[in-house]
Amino acid sequence: MRKDQSLGEYLFAQGVSRRGFLKFCSATASLMALPPSMVGRVAAALESARRPSVIWLSFQECTGCTESLTRSHAPTVESLIFDAISLDYHHTLQAAAGFAAEEAREAAMQENSGKYLLVVDGSIPMGNPAYSTFAGISNLDMLKETAANAAAIIAVGTCAAFGGIPHANPNPTGAVSVSDIIKDKPIINVSGCPPIPVVITGVLAHFLTFGSIPDLDELGRPKAFFGQNIHDRCYRRPFYERGQFAKTFDDEGARLGWCLYELGCKGPTTYNACATLKWNEGTSFPIGSGHGCIGCSEPDFWDKGSFYRPISAGLWGSREALLGAAAAGAAIGIGSALAARSRKKKAAAEEAKSS
Amino acid sequence: MSALEGIAVRVEAMSGNVMPLLHEIRHALRRVAEGGQGTTIDLGSLPMAPGEDKRIEEMLGQGEVRAELNALGPTLVQETRYPGVWFITHRNTEQEVIARFIEVTRMPELLLAQADDMRRAVSELDLTLNSGNGQVSHDDH
Amino acid sequence: MTLLDFARGPALQLSLVILIAGSLWRLVGTILLNARKDLSRPRHKSALADGMKAIATRSLPAHVFEKRIRFQHFSGYAWHIALFVSVLFFAPHILFFESVLGFGWPGLPNGIILATAAITIAILVALLIRRASHPVQRLISNADDYISIVLVIVPLVTGILAFAHVGGRYETLLAVHLLSVEAMFVWFPFGKLMHAALTFPSRFQAGSSFGRKGVRA
Repeated sequence: MRKDQSLGEYLFAQGVSRRGFLKFCSATASLMALPPSMVGRVAAALESARRPSVIWLSFQECTGCTESLTRSHAPTVESLIFDAISLDYHHTLQAAAGFAAEEAREAAMQENSGKYLLVVDGSIPMGNPAYSTFAGISNLDMLKETAANAAAIIAVGTCAAFGGIPHANPNPTGAVSVSDIIKDKPIINVSGCPPIPVVITGVLAHFLTFGSIPDLDELGRPKAFFGQNIHDRCYRRPFYERGQFAKTFDDEGARLGWCLYELGCKGPTTYNACATLKWNEGTSFPIGSGHGCIGCSEPDFWDKGSFYRPISAGLWGSREALLGAAAAGAAIGIGSALAARSRKKKAAAEEAKSS
Repeated sequence: MSALEGIAVRVEAMSGNVMPLLHEIRHALRRVAEGGQGTTIDLGSLPMAPGEDKRIEEMLGQGEVRAELNALGPTLVQETRYPGVWFITHRNTEQEVIARFIEVTRMPELLLAQADDMRRAVSELDLTLNSGNGQVSHDDH
Repeated sequence: MTLLDFARGPALQLSLVILIAGSLWRLVGTILLNARKDLSRPRHKSALADGMKAIATRSLPAHVFEKRIRFQHFSGYAWHIALFVSVLFFAPHILFFESVLGFGWPGLPNGIILATAAITIAILVALLIRRASHPVQRLISNADDYISIVLVIVPLVTGILAFAHVGGRYETLLAVHLLSVEAMFVWFPFGKLMHAALTFPSRFQAGSSFGRKGVRA
């Protein structure tokens, strides 16, 4: 696709009919969690949308987010949107390496100064710049340099959005999130470990369609996908209401698909679109497959106790500590009773003496 | 695969979405029948229990009209047993479902020939007619 | 650390320690205080039987007062029972007890718990208003009375709000509910709420000491 072509022109040049374009817009609107009544607006916007330049920086990450995004082999809506953006730099997907790759990045940044999208996955180590570098440049420097002239930053995955697994106790590399470092650019946090692919492309599609940032919640996540918690959209909710819980992973309740609260499901405190959009083109999601939600789109989810400990059980420490408190309390009680009794005895003795 | 089949999992039949959806369709259909505007329902926005989307399809059934589109992959537009209620399933070229809609309308817009496509067709016809100097070549195959 | 992390973690730890240590201190300390010299012959041989009998008989009002305190009697039992049902038979609560005690028990559907919690709040609020407006009650009520009743109402109200997801983000509502419960835990050993642990020993003591004298407790 030529850079100066609009998306509409690109699709028509590919032989896509207007009908096909409308189908594409319907699916894109659905992907962006927009109501069907917005399809017309989406069509009008996409017709004239220009290809944004996108620079993708991968820091301390496992590449799961890129994998999540690129799993489709065929032209799905996601890949069409991906084609619609001009991905000018991406470690895993690009053919170039070494100096050529860095030159491509710098050229893209200069050409599109102030207009390119910066996508980041992975956290940034602050402990020692040498923990994660490429081309001899530390992640911190590369982030600051590339963010300086970006239009907006999309922090893809819980690592980039909140620090993720490197940030988990004891955080040996001093990992931090993108928003801990960049304070002067709009940042969209698309969290999840990994995020649902359509959520990533939905955010890109929103940018493509409207040229703006979607509405964000107080953690900087697009409300369209992270506005509801899993518990409120979970199809197993009626079982929760009726008090029907699976007690183990293979008991009768589990086989009947009952609520997984007792097996540690973090659905009530997790905000994501898994319960509605689901994974693998709407096939299923962890709860649908019988495993409780682990809360992977929330900050510090690795440090909130076991994935299998129910939310209400709390993290109150060890039973030994409580037994110790009981023993201490009883001891003080005995001590104070004995002291009181000896005072009483002394008083009685004095009274007997004086009378 | 047979080892997986051996796990006895019976998913309790849940139909939490079916009735409300049918009510919504009924209200929309009434509006259209009285000359009002149509409604499109995006099934992707509803949290479906496993098998529920199949159940909804079965409840709506099949009517008189079935249209297969071929644009960026196959799309099936099936009139349900309730005229005016259309079940639209969009697939990509790998047969994966990319979106499902229920349209309550006289005719889904997708089935109508589009103005841009028709204009392009006119240009193409012009080319064909002009290039042959008015003579249309016959194909015997 | 978010508010919920704090409420589920350090706050819960500390409040449980204070609850357990404080309650045992007061209970053991109070029970061991009794060492009155036996200067005459007891009327009944078994102090145990008299004590246990008093626990049962004092569960009902004395005959002379029955009619006058009928309202307090029934409303008291009603809200106590409704409170125990709400606390002990709600599934997420049972999981908490299971984590502490090592065993759980079957629960009741959420709808029933919602009803009992609402009943508890309604009765408690009515009793609180009565306590603040009735001339005799006002005279004899102190800060301990008001604090104790409020510290029981707040967890119930915040619990319902959290359950219904009303009034803010769920994590905040849940954190506030947990913190209100923890406030009650901390207050428990030091105020009137301690009657939950002291009532039975207290009735036993009164019953056995009256039984010694041959007086009906």
